[in-house]
Amino acid sequence: MTAIEAGEGLNSAWRYTPRAGFHDEMFAEPGKTRAHWRALAAVMNGLGPAGLDERWTEGRRLLHDHGVTYNVYGEQADGERAGEGGAGGASRPWPLDPLPFLIEPAEWAGIEAAIVQRATLLDRVLADIYGPQTLLRSGKLPPELVLEHPGFLRPLWGAQPPGGRWLHSYSVDIARAPGGKWWVLSDRTQAPSGAGYALENRLVSLRVLPDVFRGCNVRRLAGYFHGWRDALRRLAPKAENPRIVLLTPGPLNETWFEHAFLARYLGFTLVEGGDLTVRNNRVFLKTLGGLLPVDVIVRRQDDTFCDPLELRPDSMLGVAGLVEAVRAGNVAVANALGSGVVESSAYSAFLPVLSRHILGEELKMPNIATWWCGHTAAREWVLANLKNLVIKPASPAVMFEPVFGAKLTASGRAELVGKVRANPGAYVAQEQVALSTIPVVGKAGSGGKLEPRHLVLRVFAAATGEGWAVMPGGLTRFTSGADSLVVSMQRGGGSKDTWVLADKPEPAFSLLRPAGAGLEVNRATFDLPSRVADNLYWLGRYVERFEMQVRALRAAPPRLYQDADPASRAALNVCQRVLSKAVHLENETQPSMLTEKDVVELVAGEDDAAKQRIGLRGSVREIHRIAWLLRDVISTDSWRVLKQLEQQFSATPAPDALLMNWTQDLLDRSVLSLAAFSGLATENMTRGHGWRFLDMGRRIERAVQTIQLIRRGLGFDAREAELGLPTALEIADCSLTYRARYRNTMQADLAFDLLLLDEGNPRSAAWQFAKLFEHVEQLPESHPPAGHSREAKVALRMLTATQLVEAGELARADENKRLARLDEFTFQLLMDVTTLSDTLTRVYFTHATQSRQISSR
Amino acid sequence: MIYETEHATTYLYSGPVSICHTEVHLTPRSGPGQKLLSHSLEIRPEPAYSVTREDYFGNEITCFSIQESHETLTVISKSEVEVLVEEPPALELTPGWEEVRDEIRGRTTEELFEAAEFTGRSPMVRVTPEFARWAGPSFAAGKPIAEACMDLTHRIFKDFRYDPRATTISTPVEEVLKIRGGVCQDFAHLMISGLRSMGLAARYVSGYLKSGEKTRGAEASHAWCAVYCGEFGWLEFDPTNDLMPGGEHVTVAYGRDYSDVTPVKGVAIGGGEQLIHVSVGVGVRG
Repeated sequence: MTAIEAGEGLNSAWRYTPRAGFHDEMFAEPGKTRAHWRALAAVMNGLGPAGLDERWTEGRRLLHDHGVTYNVYGEQADGERAGEGGAGGASRPWPLDPLPFLIEPAEWAGIEAAIVQRATLLDRVLADIYGPQTLLRSGKLPPELVLEHPGFLRPLWGAQPPGGRWLHSYSVDIARAPGGKWWVLSDRTQAPSGAGYALENRLVSLRVLPDVFRGCNVRRLAGYFHGWRDALRRLAPKAENPRIVLLTPGPLNETWFEHAFLARYLGFTLVEGGDLTVRNNRVFLKTLGGLLPVDVIVRRQDDTFCDPLELRPDSMLGVAGLVEAVRAGNVAVANALGSGVVESSAYSAFLPVLSRHILGEELKMPNIATWWCGHTAAREWVLANLKNLVIKPASPAVMFEPVFGAKLTASGRAELVGKVRANPGAYVAQEQVALSTIPVVGKAGSGGKLEPRHLVLRVFAAATGEGWAVMPGGLTRFTSGADSLVVSMQRGGGSKDTWVLADKPEPAFSLLRPAGAGLEVNRATFDLPSRVADNLYWLGRYVERFEMQVRALRAAPPRLYQDADPASRAALNVCQRVLSKAVHLENETQPSMLTEKDVVELVAGEDDAAKQRIGLRGSVREIHRIAWLLRDVISTDSWRVLKQLEQQFSATPAPDALLMNWTQDLLDRSVLSLAAFSGLATENMTRGHGWRFLDMGRRIERAVQTIQLIRRGLGFDAREAELGLPTALEIADCSLTYRARYRNTMQADLAFDLLLLDEGNPRSAAWQFAKLFEHVEQLPESHPPAGHSREAKVALRMLTATQLVEAGELARADENKRLARLDEFTFQLLMDVTTLSDTLTRVYFTHATQSRQISSR
Repeated sequence: MIYETEHATTYLYSGPVSICHTEVHLTPRSGPGQKLLSHSLEIRPEPAYSVTREDYFGNEITCFSIQESHETLTVISKSEVEVLVEEPPALELTPGWEEVRDEIRGRTTEELFEAAEFTGRSPMVRVTPEFARWAGPSFAAGKPIAEACMDLTHRIFKDFRYDPRATTISTPVEEVLKIRGGVCQDFAHLMISGLRSMGLAARYVSGYLKSGEKTRGAEASHAWCAVYCGEFGWLEFDPTNDLMPGGEHVTVAYGRDYSDVTPVKGVAIGGGEQLIHVSVGVGVRG
């Protein structure tokens, strides 16, 4: 086979050699693209490799900015990935290829019909398994396949799911074999994943290839998601305005990004098991405002983990009592608990018969040939033909990686045969499919060279009132190498946007609802789970603490080279003392002058556990970590700002000669990023509880930092404190105001007034207290029958203290030249702020009380 | 014979429990050989929510939740049960064990379909060649199934020591086979694993035992197993006491293993350290 030159396809700027013996999606034969790819080929010819690469740089940036990632589980066996920091649950950028996968209209209609048929069939099988079990009795489905499947949840037997439906969303992996026919590889019936990634792929390719997209009549995805959301709303047992939550196992899950993304996109509250509780046989969400009833749970968690009482007792992720609430019909769970029992390759061996029996139809898309070893004849055939087959587990009861018969050694084969004979029901054999190929752009940009990769398409369907809706698109995933036939994101595969083409342009989807289906005005933006409030509060505190570190470090460099000058020495002293606690300077016990090396290390150095040093990099990582937990509640813009901040700090420092300049530049940019973050919060966040807790975190931390700036940075030696005043004002960003008021006269009482007491100065302690008082008065638990809540009293006490004290009093030294009154006053404020923080934690964040098992022999 | 049973379970916590969800299998089932005359369940503190229903295996199950803060939880189950005193069937007349095994595989009747539920691996029972090797010597070719089961019962009684300190509630059955010791639950799981590994259907029975000088397991809830024996139906074997129940055992519930019929299980929020006290009393009426 020769490389393509030109013709009815790509011009000579592009090189691609399809693999012999496989169906290629783009090329009917070398040099000749299939008809429905010609529009794309024309655009590629127009852009040329350089043009495409340029656009794709933008695409990668978008994915990065959106924080599209997936988590990699556990240690990787192959060495090449271990070096990337891929150990234990690391999150990876989502690999997307710039070229989409195109499917023509007629072909798609066939796929769509087949998927609807299969979803319908599996739903009916589930209804039988959890009801009359006639399929088991008649042997059409071997009983042991169901009865020994850990996903067969006996407590759910006889339960009546809403509308009689077990499946509400369904996905299936399909592949094309030589000859062009599509085959079903495997089904997902528990908590199908990937639809969110498919949507994200679309958002990126739309931004990067808008012209091609418009030119090709690509079908849109939004309608599918809206239909799905409406269907989920209708599942609610009774509520008119149902509360729907998306249940996630948490940030360590492989597809956590998708959970956060979908929750946001669909407008559901993202919850973990610990955010829910069952009272009086109803499910409630624990929010700041108390317990709110939940009507529908969209679960992205395996069902066996959903209730430690009736399902797996060792689950820490579940909601005790959930199964009973489901049985009583008080909450709808989608997909229904128990639907994982049909998620097994073994079913493929029986679906053709079941389809005829239940639907009276042949399967519209065949399964790849599958043999369940529990049947004697099938087992003997499988063992005699191992070299052409892939051996897989029949259910999660026995877990192992698929074994390729062709790759087995003689001893490996003997071992496998022994295992299958010992426990035949646990094994399934499938034919190996020669997956079709598709051109893919190399990792470092194409340079005109495209490489063939094998692909698997995941198609999604959602139950609607009428039947099933299939997403007109899907998640295309491809193998990491040309000769690999295993498609796995865990193993370094990639993905593509999937374009289902239409004969004519599709009318733009409208978000406006049809007449008569209007929604009421609703100002309660969402129900804030206590866990989320907790994270927002700490995001606020960390961001503010980081800002103080940056400002203290920024004050140092101009003075580093004038250490003979007493004013400079005093300034460096202040910086040194402020930083010593904030960022753990190693020589904090014997203060010495801050050096250039210290500054650079604090900014660019790695944390050093041995020296107990946490520099700015460590702080930024911590901010990024918390922001990651809040992906579904903070805006994309805010996320992007924090993401950029993290990027700036993980960049490689400049060479030695320019290092100091690089450092100062980084500090300046950090201050701007922080300002952008604050600005977004102030201008764009709805004044709900979320904003309130973020802001309270900031106010509390700023009060602490300002007080510490005085207590540590200046100290209580009257003479020394006075020398440090200009620097303290600078670090607190108050120099300008001070000079505007008092010119160049440096006077302690005036500075203290500005830093501590002036309610008109947003950087003063008093201003923080005033804001805190406003906040705590608005909190849900803030209305005792009489007077103020405890939090409000503490805030009020601090505010009044700053209102009543005289600045002159604070600046007065005692007979030992010590600012004793300042010490006493600021110490009390510090105690009060700590009390306020503790009280908030106790009242609002105690959501994580451990549950435990009780059982008796 | 009419028995009066009282089964009391008390949880003492070192700190307050704010909410607990509990599920109990404490109502003796009626069936061939026994009839439930009366039953009462007393729960303190008073549950905010409680429901009684039949579980998948036809046992009565009560789910309740306590939503007030508490440091002690008490569950007392009292019942009156009439138990038929029966002579064991003539073991030598039961069908050969292979015949029963092959019949189960064929699954032609409703009864056999129900037996299929008790032939496989379950959370606390293993079906492995290792258990088949261990049980094998009791299953000589053509041996009547009940004789083979009695032989296995006898071997467990002889080869394993009764020792409450040898195992805990979570000791896996493979471990029991190794350490050769345990309590009635362990022996029931052991025997069931052996039987299922031979291709037979065996279920776990939880209940009470009238205390006697020679028997063990009467001070707490007891456990034994039942085996599907073809036309003889389900015959019971108590490996802890080397006998076939016949008048002194009260069946409460049966399932695939302990996890299906745990007498009292629950999830409590809070509570700190916990102490559990269980007492069972079985008396003869009149």
